[in-house]
Formats: sequence, structure tokens, C-alpha cells
Amino acid sequence: MATKKKKNLAYKLDKGLSRLLPALGTIALALLVGGIIIAISGNNPLEAYAQMFKGAFGSKSRISETLVKTVPLMLLALGVSVAFRSQIWNIGADGQFTIGAIFAICVTLYLPGENIFILLLSFVAAFVGGALWGGLSGFLKAKFNANEVITTLMLNYVAQYLLAYLIRGPLMDPNGGNNPQSASIPEAYRLPRFVSNLRVNYGIFIGLAVLIFIYYFWRSAYGYKLKLVGASNTVAKYAGLKVSGIVLFTMVLSGGIAGIAGWTEVFGAQYRLLDNISSGYGNLAIVVALLGNLRPIDIGIASFFFAALMSGGNAMQRMTEVPYSVVDIIQGLIIVFVICRTVGQSNGWKQWIAARRNARKAVTAGAAEEDGGEEDNG
Amino acid sequence: MIQQIFTTTFFASVLGSAIRLATPILATSLGEIYTQRSGVMNLGLEGTMLMGALAGFLGCYFSGSLALGVLCGMAAGVLMSTVMAFLSVTMKANQVIAGTALTILGSGLAAFIYRSVFGLQKSPPQVENFRALPIPGLSKIPFFGDVLFNHNLLVYIIFALVPITWFVLEKTVLGLRIKMVGEHPRAADSKGISVAGVRYTAVMIGGAYAGLAGAYLTIAYMNSFTDNIVSGRGYIALAVVIFSHWKPSLAMWGSLLFGFANALQIRLQALGAPIPNQFLLMLPYVITIVVLVGVSKKAEFPSAYTQPYSRMER
Repeated sequence: MATKKKKNLAYKLDKGLSRLLPALGTIALALLVGGIIIAISGNNPLEAYAQMFKGAFGSKSRISETLVKTVPLMLLALGVSVAFRSQIWNIGADGQFTIGAIFAICVTLYLPGENIFILLLSFVAAFVGGALWGGLSGFLKAKFNANEVITTLMLNYVAQYLLAYLIRGPLMDPNGGNNPQSASIPEAYRLPRFVSNLRVNYGIFIGLAVLIFIYYFWRSAYGYKLKLVGASNTVAKYAGLKVSGIVLFTMVLSGGIAGIAGWTEVFGAQYRLLDNISSGYGNLAIVVALLGNLRPIDIGIASFFFAALMSGGNAMQRMTEVPYSVVDIIQGLIIVFVICRTVGQSNGWKQWIAARRNARKAVTAGAAEEDGGEEDNG
Repeated sequence: MIQQIFTTTFFASVLGSAIRLATPILATSLGEIYTQRSGVMNLGLEGTMLMGALAGFLGCYFSGSLALGVLCGMAAGVLMSTVMAFLSVTMKANQVIAGTALTILGSGLAAFIYRSVFGLQKSPPQVENFRALPIPGLSKIPFFGDVLFNHNLLVYIIFALVPITWFVLEKTVLGLRIKMVGEHPRAADSKGISVAGVRYTAVMIGGAYAGLAGAYLTIAYMNSFTDNIVSGRGYIALAVVIFSHWKPSLAMWGSLLFGFANALQIRLQALGAPIPNQFLLMLPYVITIVVLVGVSKKAEFPSAYTQPYSRMER
């Protein structure tokens, strides 16, 4: 019994490592190339990376900043992963995040009284807001076969301009001195901090709760259906699944989670609506979701790493001559390498080389046939 | 204020500015029409344009030649789109992911190179940019002269690309091959057309157009480079391509719609008009969604849209 358990553990460890190692290799390669680029620009890459590390983990407040950035990134990446796993390319996380934040703040600012129900209601509203925004794209895809890449992208802009209008119009802070921002939420609603002078807060628990939810969701019957649709529409149809309903559900869930990310950002970090409140996390969430193989736990780790890159990058820019854009380069390289690695794993390279070889053979064979007078004048 | 708005000079200036704002979107969307007709959606246009903008600026800054700047911008666009073609055609990666990679990579690289070359400066380095080139005679026509015939050379060139793009796509062998590869890659392959080769070509033409649009931004529309100079125009170009049903002439009207909404918004704000300009800016995106819904029903998309081609799969 004990040995079996041990074996099981060893097996699990082995499996975990085999998932972790390629990701670590990808990151190491991206950091290496990033380092070379830093060196070409005439700076010391080791010093830059040391500052980056210190900036991400060097003190309590730096770790706190890293964690604050982890939460929205993790939630958005989890939301994106739900859609991507069903092969629905939701790139509208930014817009769904924004609408979620708007819905949530409307509940707290407009409903009378200050109590826990309103806080809970705002949470639900954030989910509903994101779900509506994502669900709209899902509906258009299910009903009219409208490409979700384009609709989610367009809805990002619609949400962005809607937010810009609201914080300059109906939702503008009356005491904000004409700044484009909403009034801040009542202090009682702010997510509690662990230490009063550090920004890290209970939002982290919400991130983890959603992570656990998604983890078990994929093990549920419904999660399995989603994966089936992702694997093959035809197979799913033969299995008697209503694909259009699942497409809609996927986008609702994916958008709703992005809405929750908006809620945590407002109630945990910003306390009000500001222009560009999603700060472009949406694009990064795609990278994080991919680096995490679209698996919840891996996404949790990947989002922490990316948050560390960002808060470290900020510190690096302050302390050295190396600009923050290095972080963008490293992030871009990571996806490029993930793509190449995935193709390598599925033997794409071998296939590709074999195909080339076959093609060449076919050409030589064809040439030989032509010599034999079997030319086809098409 | 109403009197200020309803004057011919106001309209002439809005329309003229709409054309200048539409130009970079038009160039990029015309290029993306080639790309999408071949079955590839390049979501990395934003990053491609930014690299084009930087290369155009650097080329012009260090050589002093505007023509060389334009060429550098186009070369950078081709280079970036080659990466896109490699990822999506050779590696058969998902095009959304490849495009996102390219956008993030392009924004990072452009900002990094600019900073490495010029360091931190109080006032941004500038170039002598394209000057307005009034067309003799025509520019004197009241109203229309100001609107249509008083722009810089690149504006004329890019609008001339509309019929050229139409001609290449509809009347040349290359255009027919691009469409064939986008509609039915297997049939094209069986006719001995290299699907990968045609797609590489189409994506690279798209890159050249996007690079040209980027260069237009830094050395014609403005005279300096900033990290956010493209500010979503790459994505707008994607919207325009859908809006236009993959037709160059409609792409021109689509670009002008976006350009007009933006120009009107800028002018109205300058006048202090109490109109929420955000709705004006939002409108073209909403229209794009509506158009997309219509287009999708009739299945006007290239049949092999976003589908990698492999001989081994049926």
C-alpha cells in the first residue's frame, strides 16, 4: 500500500515535471534571447535581470505588487482558457473585464444602503456584465456564424469608449475635480488587505476560488462536453451535443470570469473606474493561458511568473538604462517559442521534413514520367 | 457654435483631415485583403505597423531621404509578416495566437530599438516630413480642391493602391492564385500551385502595405515616432477588411468612415461641442459587427479562412 502510494506520488511528480520542464525551457530561452538583445543595446543583461528579480521579489512591498498584478491576470487567463479549450478564440477579455467593472460599480453607487448583500450583488453584476459581453459574441457566432475573433475585438473598443463616456458623463466623480474617473466605492466595500500598508488583498482568494472551480469544472460532465466540442465539432455533433448552445455557454462563462477579474480590480486595487482600467491585461492573458497549456493550475503559476516579469520590469526600468519594453519582447518570444514547441511535440517538424522529401520525390518521379512521354497537358 | 459647425470651411477641413486619417488604415486594410484572400488572418498588423513606423522613421532620420524611409518601413513590414507567415503557414500555428505574439513582439521591439538608438530625450527627434503637394489646377477648385487635392504624396499613392489592388487580385495570375488558395487549397495544390508559396507571398504583400502605412504615420502624417503612434489602427484595418467584404473599393469607403468619425470627433472637441465624442468613435466598430453578421450568413468569407493547409489531412 505504502509503496503503491509512493509510486503514485513519484508518477505524479514525474508527470508534473514533464509539464513544467518544457515551460521552464521556453522561459529560459526567451530570457536568453532577451539577454542577448539587452547586451546588444550596450547594457549588462545580468545586472538588468538581477534588478528585475529584486523588483519582483526583493521586499515585502515588491512581492505584494507582484501578487496584486497576479490576480487579474490569472482570472483573465482562466477565462480565456475556457474559450480556447473549446477552440473558441475569445480575444475580448479586456472588454468583458471593463463591462464587468462598470456593472459592479453601478450596483454599489446606485443602490441605497451599505451592506454585504450589495457587495455580493455587485459581484454577481460583474459576472453578468462580462457574461453578457462575451455571450453577445457567443450568440452571434452560434446564430449567425459570425467570427468571434472579430466580434470580441470590436466589442473591446465599444467597451473602452463606453467606459470613457461614462466616467466623463453620468458616472463622473462629482468631487473629482473634473478628472475622468468615477466616484470611489464606499470604504466598507474595499477588499481587506493582509497588511494595511501593502496593496495585496483578499482578491487573491477569489482568484484561487475561480481556479479551483475551473479545475473541477473540467472534470465535470459539462466541462467534458466543452472539451469535446473543442476537439472536434463533428464528433460532438455525432455525440448528440448541441454545438451552438455550448458555444454560447462557453462565451458566457469565459466572459463572466473576465467580469470577475474586473470586480477584483475595482474592489481590491483601484476602488473606482478609470480610463483603460483593464490596462491591456487581455492580450497578456492569452500568453499566460498558452504558457499554462490552458490548464488551471499551470495558468496560476504562469500568471504569477508574468506578474513578476511586469513588476520586475518596472523596477528594472527605474534602476538601469534598460527600458520596460524588454519585458514585452520576452513575452512575445515566449509565445513564439510555445508555438514552435507545440509543433515540435506533435511531430510537426518530422511531418514537414517528410512532406518536403515526398514532394521532392514526387517531382523527380514526375520528371521521369514526363521523359516517358506521359505528359499531361492540363 | 452651430454656425461654426455648419460652414463649408469646417466641412472642408473635417473631410480633408478624414482623408489623411483614413490613409494609414486604407493601406493596411488593402494589404490585409491580399492576406485574408489567401486564407490567412494576420492579427499581428498592429505590431507590423509599429515596426514599419519605426523603420520608416529611422531610415528617413539617418539618410535624410523620404523615399528611403518609405522603403525601410515596407522592408520592416515584410520582415515582420514573414515571421507571421512562418508561424501560421509553415508551423501551422493558430493564427490568433501567432498574431497576438507578433503584436506583442512588434510593440516591444519597436519601443526598445527606438529607446536604444536615441536614449531618453527631452524633445523627440524629428524629421523633415512629406509636404503637402497641391495638384496644380485641381487644388484651386473651391471646396473639393481643399478636400481632395491638397495632400502629401503618400496619400495620393496609397489611394492609387485601391485600383491597383483590385487589378492585381482580379486580373492577374497572382491574384487568381491567391484567391484559389484561399477558397480551395487542395484544388490549387493539385493544379501544381504551391499553397505555402502563395500564402507566404500574400502575407508578405500585406506586410509591405502595413509597413508603408506605418512609415506614413511617422514621416508623413507626423514627423516623429512615439510608442503608441499606431494606437489600434492595425485592428481597425482588420475591421475594415470585414466591412469591405474583401473588396478594395469598399475598403476605401470603410477607411474613410473610420477616418471621418475620428476627424469629426477631433474638430468637435476642439470647438468644445457638448457632444459625447465617444459614441462617434464607437460607431464604426458597431457598424463592423453588424456588417460581419450579414457577411457571415451569406458565407462570403474565403472558404479556407484561418485554416492551415496540410497535404496529409483530409
